[in-house]
Amino acid sequence: MTIQRVTGQDFTKTPIDKAPTPDLGYEMIPKERYISADYMRKEWDRLWTKVWLLGCREDDIPEPGDYHVTSIGPEEILIARQADGSVRAFYNVCLHRGNRIMVGQGHAESFKCRYHHWDYNVDGTFRDIPDRETFPQGAPPCSGLSEVRCDTWNSFVFFSLNPDVEPLLDYLDPLPAHLDPYHFDRMVKIMDVTVEWDCNWKTSVDAFNESYHVQGIHPELLYFLDDYDIQIDCYDRHSRYLVPFVTLSKRVRETTELPHLIKHAMQEAEMDPADFDGQAREVRRALQQWKREHGPRLGLDYSDLNDDQLTDDYHYLIFPNLTLNTHADDLMLFRQRPHPTDPDKMYFDMYLFRLLKAGEERPDPPRNATYKHGEISLGLVVDQDAYNLPGVQRGMHSNGLPGLWIGDQELRIRHFHKVLADYVGE
Amino acid sequence: MDLNLAGLNAVVTGGSRGIGREIGRQLAGEGCNVATFGRGETAVREAVAEYESLGVRAYGATLQGRDGDAVRAWTRAAAETLGGIDLVFANLSAGGGTGSPGYWRRNFEIDMMSAVRTVEEAMPFLERSRAPSILVMGSMASAETFVGPMAYNGIKAALTIWAQQLAQQLAPKGIRVNVVSPGPTLYEGSNWEMIRIARSRIFASAERRHPLKRMARPDEIARTAVFLASPAASWCQGANLLVDGGYSKRVPF
Repeated sequence: MTIQRVTGQDFTKTPIDKAPTPDLGYEMIPKERYISADYMRKEWDRLWTKVWLLGCREDDIPEPGDYHVTSIGPEEILIARQADGSVRAFYNVCLHRGNRIMVGQGHAESFKCRYHHWDYNVDGTFRDIPDRETFPQGAPPCSGLSEVRCDTWNSFVFFSLNPDVEPLLDYLDPLPAHLDPYHFDRMVKIMDVTVEWDCNWKTSVDAFNESYHVQGIHPELLYFLDDYDIQIDCYDRHSRYLVPFVTLSKRVRETTELPHLIKHAMQEAEMDPADFDGQAREVRRALQQWKREHGPRLGLDYSDLNDDQLTDDYHYLIFPNLTLNTHADDLMLFRQRPHPTDPDKMYFDMYLFRLLKAGEERPDPPRNATYKHGEISLGLVVDQDAYNLPGVQRGMHSNGLPGLWIGDQELRIRHFHKVLADYVGE
Repeated sequence: MDLNLAGLNAVVTGGSRGIGREIGRQLAGEGCNVATFGRGETAVREAVAEYESLGVRAYGATLQGRDGDAVRAWTRAAAETLGGIDLVFANLSAGGGTGSPGYWRRNFEIDMMSAVRTVEEAMPFLERSRAPSILVMGSMASAETFVGPMAYNGIKAALTIWAQQLAQQLAPKGIRVNVVSPGPTLYEGSNWEMIRIARSRIFASAERRHPLKRMARPDEIARTAVFLASPAASWCQGANLLVDGGYSKRVPF
């Protein structure tokens, strides 16, 4: 049974057309990109300091004076809600001798360095320098904290260390048109966890850029999604694939009972699997129709989404390091950050957002919690990836591996490396 | 030993895969005509083609076991196509499920009532048969707690009691009724196959609990069922034959 997909005749706001498949050849990907300290330094100079990066959610800092500290490589960035409702971002360092100013997230009337109490207004300007008369040379000639570019899109706050970076919406193009229909602002964060993984950040990005490994390390997903017949679209920087969920892989046979993950998806929509008499591969369409029909009764507004989006995973990579598993009812967002000094380590930020029902009170988002690998479960599927990746990273150092041998199912990895090389070079 | 099945007509509910499919295969191999139904159109078509290739008449339909009218119509159509009914294999099951009271309705309609409806429609033909027999597919899980509280186990017990009562009632008419109670059975498209792939640890632990360290193959269940339903088992009436490779430990004195 071939997967049925929405077509040009059906309602959709998110573009569904297959993008032309880029001809990126079949050369090996150099493994040095994953293990070399030299390449890592080039990435800092030519990539991380040049692109737009995710900082936080707008609802992490709803009120003026709310702040959120995030980090990228060796830098920390202080993001703050302003009196006029706008958002600004600064290097989180005191202009005196460089001490870190703020930690974590919270609310402040001013940003005061704890070392000598140099104090800054929420807009970054100097507020107070104790014993100022002992600085005959005056205050530093800048007006205050060093500001970085900052902008918002679809409930997310982005920053860039590149003063000359193009506008955020231009950078994200064409994804805003794809993702705006999901209305992420209607979703609430229910998980915010950082785990240090023993692999390069790209080893992690790669793992989520192909579905080829589902048959390897996620066998339970063969009874929940089609891992083979998927649409891959590569754009200028970014890419996506559309993975049919709530169906069976072609690698497995129909069963008498519905697989537990498919039952779970039905139950989440208050559709009783005990009343469904069709086969497992027929559930996807039935659940789409059910959600279309019953969504309004359940207070869930799917009106801007096409039928496939009601079940499937529209899976996006926002270059370089954001993985979005986008669904009608939730968003599973991974941010993959490099370690400041070690190419064999990274920070895996996992965020879960859930669509609020109409009239449902918006709960306060959880605060970020940071762990080492193995200290916390991220759910079965991500745990399977997390368990696997250190072995991949270790193997990159082996003399037995000439480089990465990439197939068509991994086109997004090849495309990612093309964009990466455009920034960083070989 | 001759099973004396050649030239007889059998109806097998739920025969597109697994034990039901294998029952049909064994029957056809013995020269018995076979009718069956299932949900998967392709699988039913393949089953019919295979049985015909073994030199017997075969009839198949695609329908939902919950649809009582469709089950009844299929039984009548099978009798017409094959030229009567001698053997009924009440084999269809919806399988297990927990978390919704709907599973009670599901197993009642699909497991229990498909059997009752098929037997009712077949009865006029069985009464005219020279070797009439009904075989009900029970389960080891009706005699031993298994998996968890759910409709499947209870409805399998109800099927078994119904079969034994039928056996008493129909004996004077020469109609034999027996039950086969299989243990965990692994085949292509079985729930255990899904568990083996998707939840390998649960599968491994279930396999280890078997004295023979493996699950049944469907042919091992089907051969027993076909024998019990065949004229060769003429003195088996109201039997409930456990075929579980020693999985269950109870000694039924």
